[in-house]
Amino acid sequence: MVERSFLAHLAPGARKAFFALTIAAVCLLFAFPVLWLMLTSIRPQTGIYAVHRGLEFTLGNYVTVAKNERIVEAFVNSGLIATLATVFSLMVTVTSGYMLSRFSGGIARTWFGSIYVFRCVPYISWVLPLYFVTQNWGIYDTYLGLLLPHIAVHICFFSWLMKGFFDGIDPSMEYAALIDGCTRWGAFFRVALPSAIPAISALAVLCWLFTWNEFLFALILTGQKTPVVTVVMAQFVHEMGIEWHLMSTTAVLALVPAFLLTLFGQKYVIRGLRI
Amino acid sequence: VKTPGAAAGTARPVDAARSVLPRITARVIPLLALVGITSGAVAWMFGYHPAASAAWGATTVIALVPMLIRIGVDVRHGRIGVDVIALLAMAGALILGLCLALLLNRPFKGQKLVQTVLLLPLMVAPVIAAIMLRWMFNDQFGIVNVMLEAIGIEGRSWFTDRWSAFAVIVMTDIWLWTPWFTLLLLAGLQSLPREPFEAAAIDGATRWRVFRYLTLPMLRPVIVVCVVIRAIDAFRTFDIVWTLTGGGPARSTELFSLYAYEHAFLNLNFGRGSAAAIVGALIIVALGLVLYRILDRAVEVSR
Repeated sequence: MVERSFLAHLAPGARKAFFALTIAAVCLLFAFPVLWLMLTSIRPQTGIYAVHRGLEFTLGNYVTVAKNERIVEAFVNSGLIATLATVFSLMVTVTSGYMLSRFSGGIARTWFGSIYVFRCVPYISWVLPLYFVTQNWGIYDTYLGLLLPHIAVHICFFSWLMKGFFDGIDPSMEYAALIDGCTRWGAFFRVALPSAIPAISALAVLCWLFTWNEFLFALILTGQKTPVVTVVMAQFVHEMGIEWHLMSTTAVLALVPAFLLTLFGQKYVIRGLRI
Repeated sequence: VKTPGAAAGTARPVDAARSVLPRITARVIPLLALVGITSGAVAWMFGYHPAASAAWGATTVIALVPMLIRIGVDVRHGRIGVDVIALLAMAGALILGLCLALLLNRPFKGQKLVQTVLLLPLMVAPVIAAIMLRWMFNDQFGIVNVMLEAIGIEGRSWFTDRWSAFAVIVMTDIWLWTPWFTLLLLAGLQSLPREPFEAAAIDGATRWRVFRYLTLPMLRPVIVVCVVIRAIDAFRTFDIVWTLTGGGPARSTELFSLYAYEHAFLNLNFGRGSAAAIVGALIIVALGLVLYRILDRAVEVSR
């Protein structure tokens, strides 16, 4: 306290300046790796070992990446899988989150207990048995083989978040609807669902991002036939060394859809994170 | 704030006795189901694994024993034990996140922009983050060494020494997760009631006391939720470490998920890999159940 008032006497604007400086430093720290990645991606191959020096810039890396069929295919695959996983898992999570929030009793409790426990299980412990299961069912290295595990994992995590959202919505409107003769499903579809749309959008954004960014499932459950962005990116590391320029270009391109989506959903995500 | 467990946490002294049984079953049945399913999956795998197929007829538990012993030896060599490091990263991210949330919890110009920048790590895939950091910490061409040399400190090769490799991993983890904490805590801060703070201002409480006796206790449920979510996630980290160090140098940064992956998919010893995965899962589930108790209690106290 004493120190603060002393400072205030010394320089009236000091506190404000200090605040602005701290914020700027924090922002720089958080943005720096991404900016550095972008800078690397527009340097020619000869320039990447001295990114901080030299002024040759090129978009050649982007052309190389766009011409690489495997990478393009990976982007399409990742986008498709992320979208499908989001749609299908949301169908379950919305209803299951509603159930967890509005009903109590043995079934709800057991369901909550199981999704909590399943959420605790690390991905590596899922993926080992899944590897054999997908091979046995003949869906290894297909969309389905990657989609199903993702949907299962999302159901566990997002039902929990969804429950929190519904907890924040006052149930009295639904009771009113019930008294007016709505069925339980009617109350859910006509009253609860419309008021939960911001929360559902937030979940959709998070769900899409998680699937798009996921690595371990993709690494193990896909092979040559179904390349996925994160795995393709990691494959720039090979015996010949690391192709930093192409890797960073792909990484920047992978950031673009995620960035656009987050910008669009930012309002909802921040509100939605209020547990 | 209502959080998981709110449905189960309605016990009052009168019906406490009645609600104990369902509470126990709600925790035990899923656990049993999990153990059943996973051990079934392991048994199935042993069927595929020729060396262990003799054990296929016996119970899975017996088949697991030699695996467990070998993993136990590895634990003693400090290979899987390094998971504890994950906790360090988590604590760092939590404290930093809390500081940032307190800092941001007031209107100022450009708040939107700052928020967007803070959301950046949420969009970045952990793999990309790890690649970026690996590039920046590259011993020959990395910007970090260049900067260090510019201010007269000799650069080093970060990934050849155990502790500096750890430092980079922890840093990456903090970079990735601090924003997540900041947003959750900021949302929590903004939904706190105004009145106690006004009362404290009238009473002339110092800033530290307001934080210590008002903000912190009222924010506790949110903090606990953050810790529970992160603690579970921290123990199953795979992608950052795999991309940054691949478990090296000399397997010293090998987390249990890397250990399982390496044995199952690189050495093609599926039995050992899956045994490690199951042991890890059991440890984390046990930890998760303990955390759940804490969570339950924290939320109950807050109401």
